[in-house]
Amino acid sequence: MQTQLGSAVFPRLLRRSLSYIPSILYSLHSLLNLFHFFRFLSNSSPQSQKHKEMASPFLSNTIISFSSSLSSSSSLPRLAPSIPFSAIRSKSTPRRILTVRSKIREIFMPALSSTMTEGKIVSWVKSEGDVLSKGESVVVVESDKADMDVETFYDGILAAIVVGEGETALVGAAIGVLAETEDEIAEAKAKAASKSGASTPSAPPPAPTPAAASTPAPPKSTPAPAAPTVAEGPRKTVATPYAKKLAKQHKVDIESVVGTGPYGRITPEDIDAAAGLSPSKKNVGLAVVVETKPAAPAKAPAASAAPSSLPPPVPGSTVVPFTTMQSAVSKNMVESLSVPTFRVGYPVTTDALDALYEKVKPKGVTMTALLAKAAAMALAQHPVVNSSCKDGKSFTYNSNINIAVAVAINGGLITPVLQDADKLDLYLLSQKWKELVEKARAKQLQPQEYNSGTFTLSNLGMFGVDRFDAILPPGQGAIMAVGASKPTVVADADGFFSVKNKMLVNVTADHRIIYGADLAAFLQTFSKIVENAESLTL
Amino acid sequence: MHSTLSFSRATTVPTTNYAFHSQSPINLRFCGLRREAFGISILTRSSSGRVRLSTRGRSKRISASTGNNGTPPKSFDYDLIIIGAGVGGHGAALHAVEKGLKTAIIEGDVVGGTCVNRGCVPSKALLAVSGRMRELQSEHHMKALGLQVSAAGYDRQGVAGHANNIASKIRSNLTNSMKALGVDILTGFGTIVGPQKVKYGKVGFTDNVVTAKDIIIATGSVPFVPKGIEVDGKTVITSDHALKLEFVPDWIAIVGSGYIGLEFSDVYTALGSEVTFIEALDQLMPGFDPEISKLAQRVLINPRKIDYHTGVFATKITPARDGKPVIIELTDAKTKEHKDTLEVDAALIATGRAPFTNGLGLENINVVTQRGFVPVDERMRVIDANGNLVPHLYCIGDANGKMMLAHAASAQGISVVEQVTGRDHVLNHLSVPAACFTHPEISMVGLTEPQAREKAVKEGFEISVAKTSFKANTKALAENEGEGLAKLIYRPDNGEILGVHIFGLHAADLIHEASNAIALGTRIQDIKFAVHAHPTLSEVLDELFKSAKVKAPASTSSPISEPVAA
Repeated sequence: MQTQLGSAVFPRLLRRSLSYIPSILYSLHSLLNLFHFFRFLSNSSPQSQKHKEMASPFLSNTIISFSSSLSSSSSLPRLAPSIPFSAIRSKSTPRRILTVRSKIREIFMPALSSTMTEGKIVSWVKSEGDVLSKGESVVVVESDKADMDVETFYDGILAAIVVGEGETALVGAAIGVLAETEDEIAEAKAKAASKSGASTPSAPPPAPTPAAASTPAPPKSTPAPAAPTVAEGPRKTVATPYAKKLAKQHKVDIESVVGTGPYGRITPEDIDAAAGLSPSKKNVGLAVVVETKPAAPAKAPAASAAPSSLPPPVPGSTVVPFTTMQSAVSKNMVESLSVPTFRVGYPVTTDALDALYEKVKPKGVTMTALLAKAAAMALAQHPVVNSSCKDGKSFTYNSNINIAVAVAINGGLITPVLQDADKLDLYLLSQKWKELVEKARAKQLQPQEYNSGTFTLSNLGMFGVDRFDAILPPGQGAIMAVGASKPTVVADADGFFSVKNKMLVNVTADHRIIYGADLAAFLQTFSKIVENAESLTL
Repeated sequence: MHSTLSFSRATTVPTTNYAFHSQSPINLRFCGLRREAFGISILTRSSSGRVRLSTRGRSKRISASTGNNGTPPKSFDYDLIIIGAGVGGHGAALHAVEKGLKTAIIEGDVVGGTCVNRGCVPSKALLAVSGRMRELQSEHHMKALGLQVSAAGYDRQGVAGHANNIASKIRSNLTNSMKALGVDILTGFGTIVGPQKVKYGKVGFTDNVVTAKDIIIATGSVPFVPKGIEVDGKTVITSDHALKLEFVPDWIAIVGSGYIGLEFSDVYTALGSEVTFIEALDQLMPGFDPEISKLAQRVLINPRKIDYHTGVFATKITPARDGKPVIIELTDAKTKEHKDTLEVDAALIATGRAPFTNGLGLENINVVTQRGFVPVDERMRVIDANGNLVPHLYCIGDANGKMMLAHAASAQGISVVEQVTGRDHVLNHLSVPAACFTHPEISMVGLTEPQAREKAVKEGFEISVAKTSFKANTKALAENEGEGLAKLIYRPDNGEILGVHIFGLHAADLIHEASNAIALGTRIQDIKFAVHAHPTLSEVLDELFKSAKVKAPASTSSPISEPVAA
């Protein structure tokens, strides 16, 4: 590795002013820009103007870093005598003699270039407990420009690694601790423990995990959790690759996290939760957004309210992690809290609808299809109720009317979507619905078959529920909650009593785009369509 | 020494023993696709001059000697029969027609073989999608360009459809091109029944027997599945299944980190999966130049949702069933002890490919395969169990295992057609480029640095290495894709290019300037005067050649050495 540059000068780029200095020397193995630099130095006649221009930014850059590194190394205190190019050091610099106060030395993140403010540990060449001798490579550090081997100036034992592989630290922060003898390892470790707290400012926001505070020892960096063979004992922790990466980054003790993924595995979301972060937005586009719905409206907000201060579980309780679908529901429910919603209810007379239903039932038409069709027809007249607000600044008018219908399926909830429900006739719609439900039960729905809804319909009437209130799924403008149709005594304008079937319909909508009057008008239209149900068959 | 041997073989001994070289890989360390290239080149380079003089004499002699056997018929149905209509067979057939040979091609499955139907072609469709997904998902990248894109998503079926469409389109192109040229496409599995005689037919139908002056075996390969791994085609899959993209698992283990595994990791992570690599060797990407694989790991593995286990075998893989996930038992490659158990949603077996040579009837002509591969010499002539050449029988492509790449098969096929039409030709495998279509891409031609160093020590010459970075390339920076490296391994004394390795934007397209230079024997001191359009990515190689320090002066005959005054 180091031979690739042959015996080219390795500029030692050292950090000044830290007194009891780490004894570190850097050798450089792949600094491409320097490579260019050398080439241009040696090439007296530039090949063409073009190349000169192209390379100049890099050239000047390189010169700066090169010269500054020389000057910084000139101010260095005593360095290892083995440095081969001590000639370049300025003689005028007074050499301070470094008195070693402790035989425990810290290894600092070196400044490998003038622009480097923090460095990432590519890999530790040595591991904890290894005996080091002067001049050996200990760690590979990645700067903004290249990877470099960092060597030790002293013999000793690598007592502790403070900053693990793949982590970053500010220039000058301790990344490891070197003990001179075995006896000092414990002391060095203690020192490392106190350091790891201090070095974190460079790392991403410290995670408020109890683990980080009480056991600041370097996180186990081995990706494979130990204890694999004892399969019979406590179940071994299974974490996905990205979850492991995140755990390292946020310094979350992965063993302390309860996995909520399939087969109880720890997912990136679990780590985010353990680190007290909201799930990263990045996943939204990709994550198979399952849906939402009123199944357990009370539960979700409660669960999400105080993730950090959960009361201790009641003894004897069982913790059952969410399935993927349940996690998606939970996530969507929490997300829905950011939308200002309001509700408008409306009683709808259903005698005509019920009569129609009896008529078309033999032809395979379901109540769901009837309601979806009615809603779609009403939406066609009130496009604002079919719109959505994506960014808080605009209306997004959807060109299609896609009615999502909430369906409870084993252990979850999904919303198959009847696309273009206003355009399809009742029979096609019913047939389509049947297919969707079958697919949903077989878990074979394609993403566009459950996440393309523009309006949601939820019906709990079959349970005898007379009215309820649905939560608006993120990304949609409104959701309709339909209660049971019941015979009701009605007094008309003339004071005559009669018994009519009435159901209560309750719509929840996003008030950023849909106002009370919009919703009221929409419900009035819907009610008229239902009361003149024959129009549904047209 | 080699040249003497080949000389005497050609002139004095009609049935020479050809087994003295290249049957067992000369150096096992060169695993994967580059394994044999090194050994072969020494032979070609040292012997080619003399062999050419004597070829014509030899080929006559061979046909005379086989004439004594009495078996081969006097007149043939075809001049050339090719068994297997993959990319290798197709390339050979087209060239044969151009050379005026009456040609037939036998195919038992669909035209196009692995590459078109289950390999390079559909995988490029998936990679085209993954590249765009990756770009659209990279907020940082988009921001740097000043673009705003809302969450990118994909439709799995649409992606799979794209891959399938492109495969069937290329397949029909191949079929039509052969039909248009008058190549007979014979349907059925081909079996060699005797010298210059092949039977073919579908299972359950009567076989047809056809004869040909020359026969090329081009039956290709199938995914190799190690023992203990149960492939169910759903949760434990090979590349054949993965290319159909029937589902995108949340977490997939990829066994093998060669170019197939790498490309799929690129696809799966772009589509949202997390990936765990399982590699038997101590390092990921073992086939590549170490420096390139190190950089590639920093770009293609570490920042992505990928982790890995190296130095382990996946000794047992059980598909997901009975409510259990896919279970993978890992065994330490050295100690053979159980090391870990993984539970994942799917496993892709990308441990390489095995030759598809069963049922070819090789026993009828006394040919014994080696681990399934058909033994051949450097001219793709098949060698029998006694080490003798089988007259008029050639084997190209994955079935001979020399270099398992589609374009290598095609080049070998063309080389064979050249030979049977009277011009001796030996393919220089060191000039065959290879590419891995990750984002960014990796490409290479010739030797890796360790191989070159070993050769330099053995043969007593010096080598030097030159490197350029994509960070210094205007076009790459304009695309905001400055991550990348090009590396040249060369002889400073005479300017010979020994190897070029590129990791960076469009590396696969950039390699050909180097591979052509190697194929044509162009030296660095000459090629550095060739002009490249500015600003283009090709200037990465321009810079690379110019940064090499060659002692030899530019040759006076070089067409580009003297700039022409306008």
